Formats: sequence, C-alpha cells, structure tokens
Amino acid sequence: MKKPWKLLETLLIAVLMLTLLPQTAAADKGQTEQRTDNYLRKVRQKGELVMGTSPDYPPYEFVKNINGKSKIVGMDVEVGEKIAHDMGVKLVVRSMDFDSLLVGLETGKVDMVIAGMNATPKRAQSVAFSQPYYRSEQKLLIRTEDKGKYHNYKSFAGKSIGAQTGSMQATMLKKQAKNVKLKTMDKDNDLVLGLKTHKVDAVSVDKATAEAFAQNTDGIMVIPAGLKTESSATSVAFHKGANSLVKSANKSIAEIKQKDLINKKYLPQAGKYLTSGKTKKEVKASNSMWAYKDFFIAGVGYTLFISAISVFFGFLLGAILAFMRLGHNQIARSIATAYVEFIRGTPLMVQLLFVYFGLGLVINIPALLSGIIAVSLNSAAYVAEVIRSGINSIAVGQTEASRSLGLSRTATMRYVIMPQAMKNIWPALGNEFVSLIKESSIVSVIGVKDLIYQSRVVQADTYRGVMPLVITMILYFIITFGLSSLMKVIERKMNHD
Amino acid sequence: MTNAKPVIKVEHLQKKFGSNEVLKDINAQVNEGQVICLIGPSGAGKSTFLRCLNLLDQPSSGKVIFEDKELTALSEDQLDKLRERMGMVFQQFNLFPHMSIIENIKLAPMKVKGLSDSDAKAKGLELLDQVGLADKADAFPTSLSGGQQQRVAIARALAMDPEVMLFDEPTSALDPEMVGEVLKVMQDLAQKGMTMVVVTHEMGFAKNVADEVWFMADGYIQEKAAPQQFFAQPQTPRAQDFLARVLEA
Ligand SMILES: Nc1ncnc2c1ncn2[C@@H]1O[C@H](COP(=O)(O)OP(=O)(O)O)[C@@H](O)[C@H]1O
Ligand SMILES: [Mg+2]
Repeated sequence: MKKPWKLLETLLIAVLMLTLLPQTAAADKGQTEQRTDNYLRKVRQKGELVMGTSPDYPPYEFVKNINGKSKIVGMDVEVGEKIAHDMGVKLVVRSMDFDSLLVGLETGKVDMVIAGMNATPKRAQSVAFSQPYYRSEQKLLIRTEDKGKYHNYKSFAGKSIGAQTGSMQATMLKKQAKNVKLKTMDKDNDLVLGLKTHKVDAVSVDKATAEAFAQNTDGIMVIPAGLKTESSATSVAFHKGANSLVKSANKSIAEIKQKDLINKKYLPQAGKYLTSGKTKKEVKASNSMWAYKDFFIAGVGYTLFISAISVFFGFLLGAILAFMRLGHNQIARSIATAYVEFIRGTPLMVQLLFVYFGLGLVINIPALLSGIIAVSLNSAAYVAEVIRSGINSIAVGQTEASRSLGLSRTATMRYVIMPQAMKNIWPALGNEFVSLIKESSIVSVIGVKDLIYQSRVVQADTYRGVMPLVITMILYFIITFGLSSLMKVIERKMNHD
Repeated sequence: MTNAKPVIKVEHLQKKFGSNEVLKDINAQVNEGQVICLIGPSGAGKSTFLRCLNLLDQPSSGKVIFEDKELTALSEDQLDKLRERMGMVFQQFNLFPHMSIIENIKLAPMKVKGLSDSDAKAKGLELLDQVGLADKADAFPTSLSGGQQQRVAIARALAMDPEVMLFDEPTSALDPEMVGEVLKVMQDLAQKGMTMVVVTHEMGFAKNVADEVWFMADGYIQEKAAPQQFFAQPQTPRAQDFLARVLEA
C-alpha cells in the first residue's frame, strides 16, 4: 500500500545510534510497562488520544479546506474518532511523513497510527497492530479511451503499469506480473498524471484510492486488478505492549465491521469531502489553484516564519561559534570545531529527525519548534564558517597595527577587523540565508505546514500534480530572490559608507 | 650616557617558534632620547625582537622592562595600556583601508584615550601637517602613494603620544624615490628627542641619525657601537662580512 519499512529502518538506525542512551532507557521502561500496561489509563488521564497519519492519501486521509481552515479528514480519521470516542477521550490528529509515523509511535509523539497501513509481519515486530478495520481490493486505473482493451493485469503484457515506490502494489506486480513493465513513482498523484500523459498505461492502487481518483479526474476509470493479494488488510498500530489500547480499539473495530460503518458511513463521508457533493465540472472549478490560495499563503507564512527565526538564531549561534574558533581558549575552540565539522558532515534530514524524535524521548518538542531548532543549529555551523573565513581573510598586519596602537582584542575586532570582514561575509551570508530558506522545506517531513507541505496537500486534494509544484517553485523563487536583492542593496549601502 | 634614564631594558630575552630558537640571549637597554638602529641579515630575528618589545610576540623566556614594569608578567588589559605608549611602524604601513586618513589617526586616541572627536581631529590635523600631508585628511589610504601612506602611519602612531617609537624596516617596501621623504620625517622626529628603535637597511640613515648601532645575527646582538666606530671598524667577522656585502650592493 504505502511505502513500507526500508527507509524507516535506516532512519531509525541513525536515530538509535545518536540516542543510544535514552533509547536503552526507554526500552527498559517499555518492558516494565508491558507487565503493568497503563497505556489506556494514561490516555484517559490526558483526555486525548493522539493519532498520527500522513494526510496525502485520499480517501483514507487528506487535508480539506473547511470554512477557511485546513483540516485532516478521511475514512481513517472517522475510524480514529470512533476509537477515541469509545475510550471516552478526544481525538487529536497529528500529521507526519508516512516514513516517520512508526518512529513517532515508538518515541511517544503519537499514541496510535492510522494511515492506511498494512499489518505486515515486519512492521508487527516493532509495533502492536489491532484487528484489521478495512480490507481493500486491488484495482487498476486506466484511461477511459482504453475501455474494453484491458480487463486486468494480465492484459498488460509488454505494457507498463505504475505503482507507488516501495508499495505493496509494486511488490505484488513484481512477483505476479512478470511480463509487465513496472514503473514506480513516489506519489499517487504523479502516477495518475503519468497515466493521463501516456507515461504508463495503468496505475495499480487499492479500491478506495481508485474510486477517489476516478471520481475526481476526467478520462480515467477503474477496472479490477486481478492480483492475488496476501495481506491487504489495514490496521491501527499502537506502541508495542500497549495491549490495553489494542483491546479497546478491537472492540470499536468489531462494531465498525458489524455495522459495516466504513462502507455505509465513513467512505461516503470522505467522498463528500472529496467532491463536496458537486458535479465533476464544479469539482474542477473548485480545484483551480486560486481556490487554494489560502493554503499557499499559510505555507509561505510558515516558511518565512521558520526561516526568519532560524536565520536570527543561526546567525547568533554561528557568530558565537566563529569567535570560539578564533579565540584563544583551547576548549572553546575544540568544541566549536567539533560542532561545525559534525553538523556539516551529517545531513539536515537526520538532524531534524534527531531533534524531533531523538530529543523527543527526553523532552517533548512540538514539530514546528523541532524544525526551527534543527534548521537553526544546522545553519549556525555554516554561518560560523562564513564569518570565520571572512575574518581570516583580513591581513594579520591590520590586527598588529591596531593592537600596537593600544586597542584591545575586542576593540580591534569591532573597529578594524569586522568592518572590513563584513564586506566578504555579507554576500556569503546572503547565499547561506537563501539556502536556509530552501532547505527549511525539509521540515515538512515531520508535518510542519510549510510551503512544501501545503503544495503536497493541494496536490493530494486537487489530484493535480504539476500546477501546485509550479506555484510552489515561483513562491520560493520570489522569497529567495527578494532576500538576495535586499542583501545586495544593503551591501551596496555598506560599500558607500 | 651613564646617568641617562632607561626606557626599555631587555634581559636574557629568548624567543622560540616551535623548536626554532630565533632569539637566543638578548640583553639590551634603550635610554630616553636615544636612536637605536638595528641592522643585520634577513632572518636574523630583528622583527621578532621588535615585536617582543611591545609583546605582539610573547617572549619564550627573559624579561622586557618598560617604564619600570616587567611586561611579560602583565595581564592583557595592562599590556594594552602599555602598548599605546610604544608606537610601531610597519614595513607594509598597515593603514586601515576602510577609514579615511584622519579617521585612521583619530581611532586610537578616541577609542583608547577617550579623546573627543574634535580634539582627536585637531591633533590629527596637526600631526598630518607635521608629516606634510595636511591636504590628505579626507583621502582614503588606497589613493595615497607608499611614501605618503608610511608618513600617515607614523602620524597615526604619534597620535598616541608614545614614549618610544619602533620602526620595522619602514622604507623597505617603498619605491626608491619615496624613501627620502619618510627618512626625513624620521630624522625630524629624532631631532625632537623621540626615543626610537629602527630596524633598517638604510646605512646612511644609521650613520647620520643613530646614537648606537646594534648588529644582530644568529640570535644574538653581536655588536653595539656608535655608528662611526661600527662602520669604520666592525669587531666581529659576522659584522665585517655583512657590511662588506651591504656596502658593495
Ligand atoms: N610567527 C612565526 N612563526 C614561526 N616562525 C617565525 C615567525 N615569525 C618569524 N619566524 C621565524 O623567525 C626567524 C626570524 O624572523 P624575523 O624576526 O622576521 O627576521 P628579520 O626581521 O631579522 O628578517 C625567521 O626564521 C622566521 O622564519
Ligand atoms: Mg623583518
């Protein structure tokens, strides 16, 4: 179905290595908790059940603009509501990248994960799954013009079928459809786009997804896949050992199945959100990018907010690090050097996940704050190098002349070195800030609602792959170009003084 | 000479860079109003010696005594206070390129001595007049010739009313036609009674202006003598050899 374990595993290893101590402690805690299992009691104490999901997967979960506010809706959210309601608590939905969901579960960021997730044996090793709440069928999406040409996957000998990278569909096709060309992409949206533009001849998805796309996209239709499915049952995931929660959820799920709530209530409800009860034509009109301007505005807001705060703290900490490296205190110098080398030698992605999940084991840091911390800490290392090399580029004779006149080390730095160094530092700093804005987009991985995140949401919501990307690109360019122009104006002013 | 007031005393000064022992055992004294010319082959340690006098370089061992204070024992703050009393002029001028000439001169009096802007400016203009550059106050260093820059550097050092002036080959980076104007300023300064230590290859200046010539080689001051005596009858083979090569060039 969705991207499985493999990426997660690598990330987890990285997080594990970095948090060896706290992790071990948490594992110990996990064991004692398994015996007593007070998970349900704790949830009731909090009064809320936190559900993690990746809302780019209609009709399971997706973001909908309701009365000007974006809200996560879909069949899985309805299931979550039911489970929370039966426990007597409020449901809180927290959004994350699909690959981060299980880590979020293990590190206590969320109490449960409902994300159209299959209970594969591999996943079951690290989390506890409920009974399946939905059994999906496999379908293929094809172009309406090919109606009658294809009947199931066997009709595609020599043709190509698309599936999400690393998904269950991809695995099944690889095993069962030997003479079919398999093309994988990251997002279902891109696959449907590929179908319409003849890059693939069919897209392999589950029934719920297939129906959602077919209802909202002109020129495509659903046919049976004909694939033998092994495990296509979606379940709710809990922390390993949270048996009290699993038990309670299973009771709710039994009722959902008995009353066929999914087909009778949840899916129609989700479908209503998808189409808002409109005709195809009306859907198309509401899918125009203008209707989503609030999403992009919110995204720009978050991106600017994160960038501005990170630039400020990145610069502050970077300056401190630079002076630590240039100073005479050997310990401060070593610390600063180690910090700069370590940060520059590791990916921002891992640093972000470490702050959010790793440090999250010790103190609970919200996603937005985690993003700001990670981007600031990362930027500081680069800023430190920019400042340091700017200062080092000033001839040593300048310092000697200044010191020989009786100016202190600090006064020399302030009146003689920095004014000259700033002319080298400023343009490089501008470049650094521009790349900070671009790289801040990584915070969308942990569900921060920045520009990239919003563009994904709009993609998922409108079933349009390219247009949201074009708009996002233009918006990023306006921001970065605006910033670098501003820096140049200041630079020119500086050179005139 | 014997009852002259000592300004700088150096005792058993040693300076190593890693395992490279540049100054081995230097003992010397500079008296008030004296002009010392320090000469010697390149790499002898002349610059290092000068930089040890105002502690731009930290001596490895030995003492530097200035105004009755043992410099190597002082804190950073105290050192800053004493450094302003020793003006230094560098081979490469080292003017601050982001400041105008007058700003170059005003900086230390204002930031270190706390002079007001107008007082510092008045003093700066007077010193510029003294080195013949009154009309260049608002120019920037890059628009000046080497000789002019070096004269500004001298004025900048003088603005702190130093007790002693240290010159490290002040004319070596200059085109030959500009050497004279800088030496002239230095000679005027000497005539006004400024205590000076001058590292130089200008033998004419040493002969005419110095009270004493010190010859440095191999980490030691090999000879100290009045200029007439030193140039006429150098005592050590090292000095004889050096003079033979310099005078023939
Ligand atoms: N900062 C330094 N680090 C290491 N070696 C130095 C340093 N400064 C000077 N030296 C060495 O000390 C020796 C004397 O240099 P210097 O005092 O500049 O000689 P001079 O001024 O007489 O030409 C040279 O061998 C030079 O390489
Ligand atoms: Mg030298």
